[in-house]
Amino acid sequence: MSGLTALIILCVVSLALFTIYVKEGDSGPLHTVQLGASEVLRPVRGLLGFAASPFSAASERVGNVMDVEEKRELEEKALGYEEGAAEAARLRQENERLRQLLNGQRPSFTYSPLASVVTPVGGQLTKRVKINIGTNDGVQPEQPVVVGNNTLIGRTTNQVTPNTAEVLLITDQSFAAGVRILPPSGSEDDGSSDNSHGEGLLRTNWEGYLGVDYVDLSAEAEQGDFVATSGQAGERELLFPSGLLVGTVESTSSQDIDQYKKIVVTPAVKANDLQEVRVISDW
Amino acid sequence: MLESVQISVARAALLVALAALLESVLSPLLTFGWVGPRFLILGVVVAVAGLRDLQALLLGFFGGVLTDALSSGLFGTAPLGGVFAGAISVRAGDMRRKGGTRIFFAQTVAVAVAAYDLLTLFATALAGQGSPPIVGYLASGVIPDVLLNALLAYLVGGWLLRLLIAKEEEWT
Repeated sequence: MSGLTALIILCVVSLALFTIYVKEGDSGPLHTVQLGASEVLRPVRGLLGFAASPFSAASERVGNVMDVEEKRELEEKALGYEEGAAEAARLRQENERLRQLLNGQRPSFTYSPLASVVTPVGGQLTKRVKINIGTNDGVQPEQPVVVGNNTLIGRTTNQVTPNTAEVLLITDQSFAAGVRILPPSGSEDDGSSDNSHGEGLLRTNWEGYLGVDYVDLSAEAEQGDFVATSGQAGERELLFPSGLLVGTVESTSSQDIDQYKKIVVTPAVKANDLQEVRVISDW
Repeated sequence: MLESVQISVARAALLVALAALLESVLSPLLTFGWVGPRFLILGVVVAVAGLRDLQALLLGFFGGVLTDALSSGLFGTAPLGGVFAGAISVRAGDMRRKGGTRIFFAQTVAVAVAAYDLLTLFATALAGQGSPPIVGYLASGVIPDVLLNALLAYLVGGWLLRLLIAKEEEWT
């Protein structure tokens, strides 16, 4: 067999593998192979992640004059305050509707056990991490993953094994979630409607920013507003529960020719800072 | 140097397998943005440099299959990248007339990594996962990636090749 013939045959086989993988669904043989390998390689990935952690900490120290532990504590406190403020804003604005929806009860989430982020996975065009809990702990595909009580950082993908789960981060191009923009405290006295600050689809633009798409030009979104899940993602209702904090509005802009507002969002938690997360397994 | 040595196929296969493992478990830890080491491409380019066409292509293909099986990427991308890397390495070896081994590996890896990056981009777009604008990706993804991996190949390519040599052939 000549080299050229072999090259053509192997290229065709590779393309066939690619097509099968994309079309086969989550229970197909190629996906199953990857799941099995993920479980087998879990100790190796954990070991490498552990070995790499001193380098991450060292780079943090180089980048920051402030002590790393102190900085982490302050960030956790700030995140807690932000979560509380966003929760208060959401409850204040949607009080009546939620009360009807939840029969007068606060939404209650069922959390998985605390999970550690083992290692990043995937290629250069994806932003995913592996966590060390799986179906044995009640984790299923497409469940929200949070830091603290209600700060959304991503969702589980279909790559869930008994002891591991892959998390698609909110900064991945494939991630999308329905979100609502909420004003910070003290700005609801103008009698405006629930959605006056805007609703839209959260996703990462390839220009490099996390943003909210499809926000009406009439929306009153401002810098500093909270961005929280609305409980909808397009037509798929309740993919995420409502009220999970995603971040804050960094900037808003629009031009005459635009159909929608351009909303840039600062995530509440940076992907590099992820250490321990929880999966919301029921709500 | 390449013309005067005989590469052990078994050692080459081992190197490709090790490269696939590193690509799966270590590369994600070392990837920053769109730039990171492409161990599979480096391993394939070095391992197949002195092999025959069919051996080189098969090693590249199965190295890619192993990489995709061990990672969670789009299956089929790495085999295609491995085949291209094998073909480029063999063809570059045939055309090589002068220059040191290090330069040879750096140039070959640079071309193979560029092909692999573009392949990944098109595969991601074809799978419906979205893809960045190609100009921005070329400028801040492919070019830095090519430079990093070419440097890596320049530094370790010759050393890796010495591990693969079964015996030196005499000049005639």
